[in-house]
Amino acid sequence: MNFDLTEEQQLVSDSIERFVQDNYNLESRMALVGQGPGFSEAHWKSMSELGWFGLSFSEDDGGFGGNQLDTMILMEHFGKGLVLEPFLASIVLGGGVLKRTGNEAQRKQWLESVIDGSKQLALAYSEADSGYEPHNVAVAGTKTADGFTITGTKCMVQHGGTADALVVSFRTSGGTTDKSGISLALIPADREGVTVQGFLTVDGLQSAEIAFDKVVVSAEDLLGDVDNGFAALNATINDGILAIAAEAVGAMEVLYKDTVAYTQEREQFDHALADFQVLQHRMVEMFMEHEQCKSLLYRATMEVANGGDDAQRNIHALKHLIGKAAFFVGENAVQTHGGMGVTEELRVGHYFKRLLVIEAQFGNTDYHLDQFAA
Amino acid sequence: MDIDLSADDLAFEKEVREFLSENAYTHGANPEKWRMKWFEKAKEKGGWDVPKWPAKFGGPGWTPNQHYIWQKETARAGTPWDLPFGLSMLAPVLMAHGSQEQQDRFLPAIRAREVNWCQGYSEPGAGSDLASLKTKAELTEDGKHYVVNGTKIWTTMAHIADWIFCLTRTSDAGIKQEGITFLLFPMKQEGIEVKPIITLGGSHTVNTVFFTDVKVPVENRVGEEGKGWAYAKGLLEHERTGIAGISNSIVALEGLKQRASSVKRGNGSLMDTPSFRSKIAELEIDLMAVEYTELRSLATASAGTAPGPESSILKLKGTEIQQRIQKLTMEAGGEFSAAWGGINSGPEFARAGMGGYMSSRVYTIYGGASEVQKDIITKKVLGIKSTKK
Repeated sequence: MNFDLTEEQQLVSDSIERFVQDNYNLESRMALVGQGPGFSEAHWKSMSELGWFGLSFSEDDGGFGGNQLDTMILMEHFGKGLVLEPFLASIVLGGGVLKRTGNEAQRKQWLESVIDGSKQLALAYSEADSGYEPHNVAVAGTKTADGFTITGTKCMVQHGGTADALVVSFRTSGGTTDKSGISLALIPADREGVTVQGFLTVDGLQSAEIAFDKVVVSAEDLLGDVDNGFAALNATINDGILAIAAEAVGAMEVLYKDTVAYTQEREQFDHALADFQVLQHRMVEMFMEHEQCKSLLYRATMEVANGGDDAQRNIHALKHLIGKAAFFVGENAVQTHGGMGVTEELRVGHYFKRLLVIEAQFGNTDYHLDQFAA
Repeated sequence: MDIDLSADDLAFEKEVREFLSENAYTHGANPEKWRMKWFEKAKEKGGWDVPKWPAKFGGPGWTPNQHYIWQKETARAGTPWDLPFGLSMLAPVLMAHGSQEQQDRFLPAIRAREVNWCQGYSEPGAGSDLASLKTKAELTEDGKHYVVNGTKIWTTMAHIADWIFCLTRTSDAGIKQEGITFLLFPMKQEGIEVKPIITLGGSHTVNTVFFTDVKVPVENRVGEEGKGWAYAKGLLEHERTGIAGISNSIVALEGLKQRASSVKRGNGSLMDTPSFRSKIAELEIDLMAVEYTELRSLATASAGTAPGPESSILKLKGTEIQQRIQKLTMEAGGEFSAAWGGINSGPEFARAGMGGYMSSRVYTIYGGASEVQKDIITKKVLGIKSTKK
């Protein structure tokens, strides 16, 4: 058994760590939030030049042949800096569906430019009433001679406002909650009938509501077989869960460490706060929650990367534990920082806000507990 | 043991309901005009505009049961917005320790909602440990003025306040609770700078306030020099019971249940999912208990004895429950709770649900953090003393 990174992974990890340290203090991050695309085009370009976008794609597709472990390393560092760039949306989610379903022409047309960063994708799968179930799809595809027209609305599409093309799930047969009968397509964001309303989310990232009004989907736009899109969609969402869980582990590390540092500086009642045992024990628990999350993250990531039988249960377990720990670590970090903890000035609140969005994305803590127990 | 309301109480309850329904806000009315009219009508009822003021100062002189009824009914019906600083925090101090002249000068304008006050207590280095405050007030040589220098923080509504009541240090001798002096002065004057603090919910209600050589006439000192801590302490206890907000939480829980029922999950609603349903049930059970904790506290007060240990529980449990309601509201909104600003996506109630949750984190910090409340219970209620030799 060996939890060490390979030499190559260690090099990448070090380079990401440096990048985040150099570019992501609170001030420079806040200067990007809500401005223009909501992230730095220059950072995006640097990330692409450093080769990070290709890590989890096969060599045939122009990548480096890595897997979810490489994404994990990257996302954990991103979590420490609350990185704003649409890596999850475009590379893990959009690129994730494309690499699983795309035919040669689609890969040629899109994957290359996704991996070099010149084009960005977003995954539009969630809907107003889908209640976290990725198979709960009401957006309807109506058969035409050459393909479909699709009508309906997708919600909370991360970075949907700036994406060049959208990976969309829609129903082509069966009932709204059936796992079969879901099809996938890649649709350029400027296609007729697509209306994108982008907006800011509480964590400073961007999301969008996207309405489709009789949008034409030709045979060339379809990803994979008609009616059989769920498996690829679900596998991609699982990758997304692993990615944001790694990000959360990075964010929690910052939260508990900032709290430990703050309580040693801040004095009340003629003592450093860290002298009070009630706070010491609280911080020990925050630390332990973080470690537990890290363990389950490693377990689930390796199980998925190795194609293990228990992959789906691991995913549910991980997303549940991450959510529960996010509340515990976040609430206690803010509480222990006192009044300062609830201001925009200190970074703890910003990390907690990102954790809140992670908690609700791809199914919240309760949802995954119910799935695990089912 | 008797928790039934008397016939008098029931008659009072009816009267309150009638008043609230007759004076309810009608859609489209000018909110400020309605607000002033409402207080005018409440005053005509015999001091209902200042429910907590004693009869001697124009209040209604209600029994604890009547206060409870008022609180419960107004939580349901809603009342005009009001700031607690002048009305509920400064006024009792002036009544107890202010001179006749100060009472005549300040109380009528507070009652008329003409002058907005803010509270200058916490400082960057004095939060939970309030008594270590450092804002200096030095008497001028002629003895006519204090000159105030220092910084206050978390000052709610300082940006709209006309006046501040402020704890200042006039002496460093003795223990830190001594040498604190209670001063009143206008906010709109040279030497006062108000800097907004934006909190994580995205709103501006609190501020940092800087004082540079602010001159305060000695007649604006409340009570004696160096005795301000004693005056302020009574006020803090007042603040704590007010913060519990139990009647409001009961109303909010009803709203939450309705909202959760409108959220779809599978073929049913969120209220049909066992995990969410049991969290709502746990919340309701805690609320049922704390409602009676509050009643027991009222009953003790009603019998004329000192407040029992149950009053110490109220701030802790009350604020925790408020936070849980915000958290469950956020959870009910799901992913849509992440939207920031007036975005039309998902259920309307979910808008900025995470912002609301973040804002609620301060409930267990302000007015004496939960950790400080627990220390108070440890010492005052459990009677645990340090055995350090």
